[in-house]
Amino acid sequence: MSLKILFFTSPTCSWCPYLESILRQIIKGVDHLELEVIDVTKDITKAGEYEIVAIPTIVLPNNQRIIGSADEGFIREQMDFFLTLGS
Amino acid sequence: MIISTGIEELDKMIDGGLRTSFCYAIKGSAGSGKTVLSLFMTVGALKANIPVLFISTEVDIEKLMTYGQSFNMDLESYVNKGLLHFEKMSLKPLGTNLVQTDQFNLSAIIARTKDKMESIKAKMVIFDSISAFFADFKYEKTARSNFMDFIREITNEDAVLVLTAESQPTEEYSTIEEFLVDGVIKIRTELKNNQIIKRISIPKLRSAKPINFENRFIINRDGISILRSEQPPTSHIKEESSGIEKLDKLLGGGIPSGSVVLVEVDGETNYFPLFLTTLCYHLENDKGVIIHSNVHMYSSRIVEDFNKADFNIEPFLNKGNIVFIDKYNRSVTAVEAREMSQLMTTDDMISVTVELMEAFQKSKQKVVIYGDLTDDANILNESEFLRYFALQSFNIKEKRSIGYSFINFNAISREMLARLRTTADIIIRFSREDYTTYIECMKSSAGATFLPKVVRYKDKMPLIEIVD
Repeated sequence: MSLKILFFTSPTCSWCPYLESILRQIIKGVDHLELEVIDVTKDITKAGEYEIVAIPTIVLPNNQRIIGSADEGFIREQMDFFLTLGS
Repeated sequence: MIISTGIEELDKMIDGGLRTSFCYAIKGSAGSGKTVLSLFMTVGALKANIPVLFISTEVDIEKLMTYGQSFNMDLESYVNKGLLHFEKMSLKPLGTNLVQTDQFNLSAIIARTKDKMESIKAKMVIFDSISAFFADFKYEKTARSNFMDFIREITNEDAVLVLTAESQPTEEYSTIEEFLVDGVIKIRTELKNNQIIKRISIPKLRSAKPINFENRFIINRDGISILRSEQPPTSHIKEESSGIEKLDKLLGGGIPSGSVVLVEVDGETNYFPLFLTTLCYHLENDKGVIIHSNVHMYSSRIVEDFNKADFNIEPFLNKGNIVFIDKYNRSVTAVEAREMSQLMTTDDMISVTVELMEAFQKSKQKVVIYGDLTDDANILNESEFLRYFALQSFNIKEKRSIGYSFINFNAISREMLARLRTTADIIIRFSREDYTTYIECMKSSAGATFLPKVVRYKDKMPLIEIVD
């Protein structure tokens, strides 16, 4: 079974493409992790379902959310925290 | 498009109603009634078949529904009809943990709001409350600046956006919301005599004149009623003119007979023009005038001042329509005056006044009493003074006369002033600021108070003129 990481993005988000590439890189090295990219302007139901307010938002399977973009180090640190301390 | 708030008086205050493509903020402290007001606005629009999107950031939808029920609002039926949609929006949904940075925008709420607006064709969006919404953000400044996009995008859809925002009781300056929005509806609560009093004002309103005057309002099951004291009330009490046309108009027709008018003056303001103008009117209308003279208000000064204004008071003096009661002998020292005041008791004063009032009434003359209370307040002890004022007021009310009592509000204690105010039916403040004299009505038994108006002095009768 693989765990899904949701990445909410929008066309007006200037940091999103960069953040997405970082996320893809991180996930590439981890088994059972999958990335789903959701454009809130296209899939509003999902944005509503997850009550997304700010963009970018990364929803991790353990109910942890990362709001806002950051550098690779910060994202890696957060992901490591989630991966080592578990879901 | 103008959307009614459902509250007639509020519509008047905001120039007819809520305008589409405008953003309004309802500001108030916690528990002042922001959510209730926004719910009443919602129902107001719904009653006119205007669809509403209600975004709640703090209260759950079910709770809002029950909240509405307690105010006789059947919100559920509107939801079923597809006219109303509730949407919960918060950065931190229940059970989530957040890590935040300052590189984000709010395009998700914009997209979600626009989508919901489109689905029900909403012309009004209520966002309750932005304070609770921003509280979850670690980088509140970024959130607030991004919120501007939200305001812009929603109002661009030809809809009204109403935000509610919490204000702190100590807030001295306007917060960012007040700069961004087109109108601010401010609610304030205050504790007065152990009673919570709610007041509403419009400190900002684009395209129209803001109303800084705080009107009282009451929230009950049937709705919100705003008591507009600026409006002349309908009254069945017979009113007497004060002799100043503009003042009568502002007071909603005049001074009801049986009223005690407390004229508060600061020590620097010359109240004589006001006093003489009303006095002149009453004399010309064949009323009986009783003047309790003292160091400020005494016969020779009054006669002299009338002469200066080219008004001949002699016929009235000869007719006996004006009577001076000398309370204290002015040729004595202060110590002696105090002793004498003990000799001539306040009860004597009152009984003489009552006798005179009865005499005037026998000859079918209305009675007007003038007095400067400042010296009485200083010479008499507190309880005696208050008793004197209360008895005097009682007599005035019972005999359906009018009493004008002048007092220097700087010369007496606050407690004393508060007690005088309780007894008085009408409070007029006559004070000066930067060489401009203002007249203001702070209390009126008929409800017609008014804001400070500029007063201009003149050489001839009428000696004062109230300017808008």
